[in-house]
This record gives sequence, C-alpha cells and structure tokens, in this order.
Amino acid sequence: MIEIHQVSRLYRRGVDEVHALEDVSLQIPDGTFVALMGPSGSGKSTLLNLIAGLDQPTSGVVKVGAQNLNGLSEDQLAAWRAAHVGFIFQFYNLIPVLSAIENVEVPLLLTRLAKADRRKHAELALSIVGLADRKHHLPNQLSGGEQQRVAIARAIVVDPELIVADEPTGDLDAKNADDILSLLRQLKSEFHKTVVMVTHDPRAIRYVDQTFHLEQGVLVNGATAVEHA
Amino acid sequence: MALPLKYNLRSLFLRKMTTLATAGGIALVVLVTLLLLSLVAGLRHMLISTGRADKLVVLRKGASSDVMSFITRDAYQAIRYLPGIAQTPEGEPLVSPESISQPLLPTKAGGQEIVLMRGVTPIGFQVHSNVRLVAGRMPNPSVNEAIVGVAAARRYQGLEVGDSILFGNYKWNIVGTFSSNGTAYESEVWLDVGSLFNNDAKRGCSGIRLVVAPGADQEALIRRIADDPRISLLAQSEIAYYEEQAVGARVLYLLTLVLALIMGVGAVFGAMNTMFAAVTHRTAEIGALRAIGFSRRSILASFITESVCLSFLGYLGGVMLGVCTIFAINSLLQGLAFQLPSFSTVVVSLRISPTSLLVAFGLAIFMGLVGGFFPARRAARLQVTEALRKG
Ligand SMILES: Nc1ncnc2c1ncn2[C@@H]1O[C@H](COP(=O)(O)OP(=O)(O)OP(=O)(O)O)[C@@H](O)[C@H]1O
Ligand SMILES: [Mg+2]
Repeated sequence: MIEIHQVSRLYRRGVDEVHALEDVSLQIPDGTFVALMGPSGSGKSTLLNLIAGLDQPTSGVVKVGAQNLNGLSEDQLAAWRAAHVGFIFQFYNLIPVLSAIENVEVPLLLTRLAKADRRKHAELALSIVGLADRKHHLPNQLSGGEQQRVAIARAIVVDPELIVADEPTGDLDAKNADDILSLLRQLKSEFHKTVVMVTHDPRAIRYVDQTFHLEQGVLVNGATAVEHA
Repeated sequence: MALPLKYNLRSLFLRKMTTLATAGGIALVVLVTLLLLSLVAGLRHMLISTGRADKLVVLRKGASSDVMSFITRDAYQAIRYLPGIAQTPEGEPLVSPESISQPLLPTKAGGQEIVLMRGVTPIGFQVHSNVRLVAGRMPNPSVNEAIVGVAAARRYQGLEVGDSILFGNYKWNIVGTFSSNGTAYESEVWLDVGSLFNNDAKRGCSGIRLVVAPGADQEALIRRIADDPRISLLAQSEIAYYEEQAVGARVLYLLTLVLALIMGVGAVFGAMNTMFAAVTHRTAEIGALRAIGFSRRSILASFITESVCLSFLGYLGGVMLGVCTIFAINSLLQGLAFQLPSFSTVVVSLRISPTSLLVAFGLAIFMGLVGGFFPARRAARLQVTEALRKG
C-alpha cells in the first residue's frame, strides 16, 4: 500500500513560490496499476517523484509499503530505491554505450549478486520483455519501443515491488504505446507489481485499474476506478 | 558498488575525436616532459659515469673546471711524488698533466661548437685507462698525432682517422678513434703533446689527473695537496668533479619541471573542458543512474575515473611518441649537443629512466585528476529530479 497523506510540495524560485502539490492525499493498494493524469504543470511528475523517493515533500507523509520515506537521508533513500523501485522514463534513459543486457545489469551492480548471477537475472528480465534475441544490441540499434522494453527489463531486474513510469508512451507511436501499456499491465497481473504511471495518453484508461486526476497541484476527483470489460 | 570501467572507456570511445584531441594535448605535455627529462638523465648519467673513484682531479684553488685552471711546472713537480699515488710497473707516477683548450670546430650539420681539446703526454693514456681505441692506433709521442672520441668524430667535420687538423701553429694527424663507455671523454679531441713543460719553468698545464694507489688513503692525499702552502692547489675525486659539471643538469631538471607544470595547466583546462561537456551531454544518464540508486560518490568517482583514463591514454601516447623520438635522436642524430658549465660541448644520448617515466606518469595522472575533479563534482551535485527533466 502506498499512502500519501496531506502532501504539499513547494518550489521556491527566488521570491516566487510554486505550489506544485497542495494537500494531496491518496492511497494505492499493492498490486494495482494506476495512472496519474492531468494537464501539463499540474504536478504529476512531482507526485511520482515523491512516491519513488526521488524527492521529499515540503509537508505531509509519504509511506510506501512498510517504509515511511519522510526523514530518510539521501543515501538511505538511494539504497531504498535500489531495492524497492524500478524506474521507466519517457526517453528511456538507457546508457548509450552499454548493450541491452549490460543496461539491464546496471541496477544489479548495487546488489551482492555475483557476475554470473547478474547475467542470468538480466537475461530473464530481457526475455520477459521479449528481447532475449537482441541482448547484444546497443540502444541506438533498437527502435523506440524496443528501447523502452529494455528500460522495463532494467526496471524489473531487481524484482522491486514498485514500478514508476513517467510518460512511458510519450515518445512512442500507437502500436508501440499499446505494447508497452500491455507489458506494464502484465507486470501487475503476472508479477503482482504496483505500477504507478504518469500519462497524457487517453489509451491508458483501458489498461489501468485506477486514475488520479491532478489540476494545479490539487487532486480533483480522488480515485476513479476503471471498469474493465 | 562502483560503475564499471567499461562504461567510462566506451564513453570515451564514443566521443572519439574529442577524446583523441584531449588525450593528444596530454600526450604532448608528456612527450616534451619526457624528452627534457631524458636529456637531463642522459647528461647526468654521462657526467657521473665519466668520473672514477680512484682518480683525482687537481686544479688551481678557485678554479671550477680545468678550463679555468693553471698549474705551474713547480707545482706539478711538487705533487708528483706524494705518497699514495699509483705508479707504473717502471716506477713512473700515474700523474697526467693536461693542457685544455676550447677551439670552435665545424659540425657536420654546418654549425660551430666549442670542443674540448685535451693535450696529454704519453702517461695520460695510462692514467685514463678506460679509454679504448675503436679504430686506428694510439699516437706516437711527440710527432703531433691526435686521437678523437667517437662522439666528436661523428659530430664534427674532418675528425676521421687520416684527417688532420690545424691547431696551435701545428698540423695534427688524426691516427685513431677512441671510446670510453659513453663518457664525456668521447666528445673530446686528445692531442699527444709530448712534453708539456719543455724544461721551461714559465710553461704550465691546466689541470692534473692522477690515480690513487690501491689501498692508499685518498682523503689524506687530498688534504696533503690542499694544505701544501707552496702550491695553492685543490684535489678532488673525479666523481665529485663531474658531479659539479652536472649542476647544469640540475637546473635543467628544475626548469623542466616548471615547464611541465605550465604546459600541464594548459592540458588540464583541455581535459576539464572535455569532461564538463561530457557531464552536460550525459545529464539524463546521470539522472537515471542516481534514480536507480547510485550515490553521488559513485558518480563523482566514475567521472574522475573517466578523466584519469583519458589522461592515461594521453600518457601512453606521449610515451610512445617519446620513445620513438628519443630513438630517432639517438640513432639518427647520435644524441644532442649540450654545453657544460665550462662551455665545452658534450654529445649526450637521451636516456629514458624509470624515474622520468614515473614523473611523466604522475604528471599525466595529476592532469586527469585535476581536470576531472570539477566536472565530476558538478555531475555529483546534480539534483536527481532536475537531471531527469533534461530527458
Ligand atoms: N525544480 C523545480 N523548481 C521550480 N518549479 C518546479 C520544479 N519542478 C517542477 N516545478 C513546477 O511545479 C509544477 C509541477 O511540475 P511537474 O513537473 O510536476 O508537472 P507535470 O504535471 O509533470 O507536467 P508535465 O505534464 O508537463 O510533465 C510546474 O509548475 C513546474 O513548473
Ligand atoms: Mg511531468
């Protein structure tokens, strides 16, 4: 369970103050796939960063599973992320000089796994996203959709409970976007991950369990459960 | 755990041209430093190996080289039979009065240089026992014959066996070429002057070389000569004498280090510029790594490592260029001419010493560390969320 309780995030730029989030409270049960939606600048990424432990709220409480993220030091947050969170970005953010399999191995460098085990885990993750046969390709030898699948393999390779994705289909065409969305849905249904995704993509409604709508830093509709056919 | 080295190496390889240009700058600094240090090392090695522990150099008090010294016949006679001096089997003291002059000789390359011309008497060849003929024969006494050191014969015009040179109103026939284990003597021309004094009390020599008898008290002999009120001479071991001639090498060494540091600063800015560009270019990558859980420290270490790899590449390039250049100088030019404090020219073979390699290595790594530190710190200080917005 992810619990966000009366969270505000204030950015100060000189004398200007931006209320990126104001008094947001929400809960996300384990093993659900949720979408954070809303217009540009409404605070979606800010909220996702708080859930993922990349940022700290100005006030309010962020709890992910058993872990209260408030008051953790930067190093503690980094160690927590390494073990519990997988990241997916709009522009994939793969390391261009590393092959697909080497990119997937990167998070495993922070574990105690031996080299051979790292390779085995990475191969398994790549086969889950259907790219086992492209493991030696560099990112620029892969299509956008394939790169995003490598990124998903990288996000799941340490087997974290939580996957966060900031506009994972924002740079993809319809066909690839559908593939990525169903893959994320598969992570939830087959591997019981909690997946939190920021998206503008109306197509996403068909895949997620729940959406949260933000407007100017405020949660406008609470949770909207999505009916699946 | 740290980021793997292959990440840094491949990132460098990805930016081939920038990497080559930056490493090239570092390589040039390494090259120049190595060349100068090799000249210093060659010079020091030559001069210090020229001196022998069992030989003394006797000069007039106050003279720093035999070029500036003058010793009268009486003073020569006074020390010739001092106890502790080695003798030939025939009982002649191994004391060699020598007359030094410094004519300008034309080089084969078309220039002119001051060459040390050493007038010796027949005993001189026994005192300098490490002089060996490599061509021709030894001079016959008193018939104006000369032998030439191999380095001088290679460097100057008209010093081959069979040539003759005009000097001091006489024509000297060159009858031999000698080597002497790469010492400074090899850059000299030796004339057999028969007798230096010709029973004329007003004539003298420049300096005296003598051999200390095996087992004799060398210090006592040195003191005895210094303390003799009649002669005002100073003796020192030949090693100490040539070490003094090598002071130029020490100055050159310091100049080299200063020059290397100045050039190094230039190359540091090059490396810094390259690494700053790398950090800017890879901001999103850094953001992803931080999000995944890598600490600021591992980002810092990774970029410093990359910069050090870059400078190590420059070091390897510089050493390779240096070795080739030094080989070319030694084999094609037969070494470099260097003027001693006494103004005589010696031909020095450049010498790559482990110390020079280590100094150049230290300099290169230092350039990498300094050039990499500030960009790496910028990378480490990036805010994760900010870096990720640079998608
Ligand atoms: N580091 C920052 N400093 C100052 N203001 C910031 C910072 N990060 C975000 N903001 C502001 O906070 C508000 C919310 O930003 P956020 O990135 O969460 O929006 P978003 O909903 O993700 O928008 P988009 O759909 O365009 O990505 C915006 O007004 C933005 O300008
Ligand atoms: Mg956003």
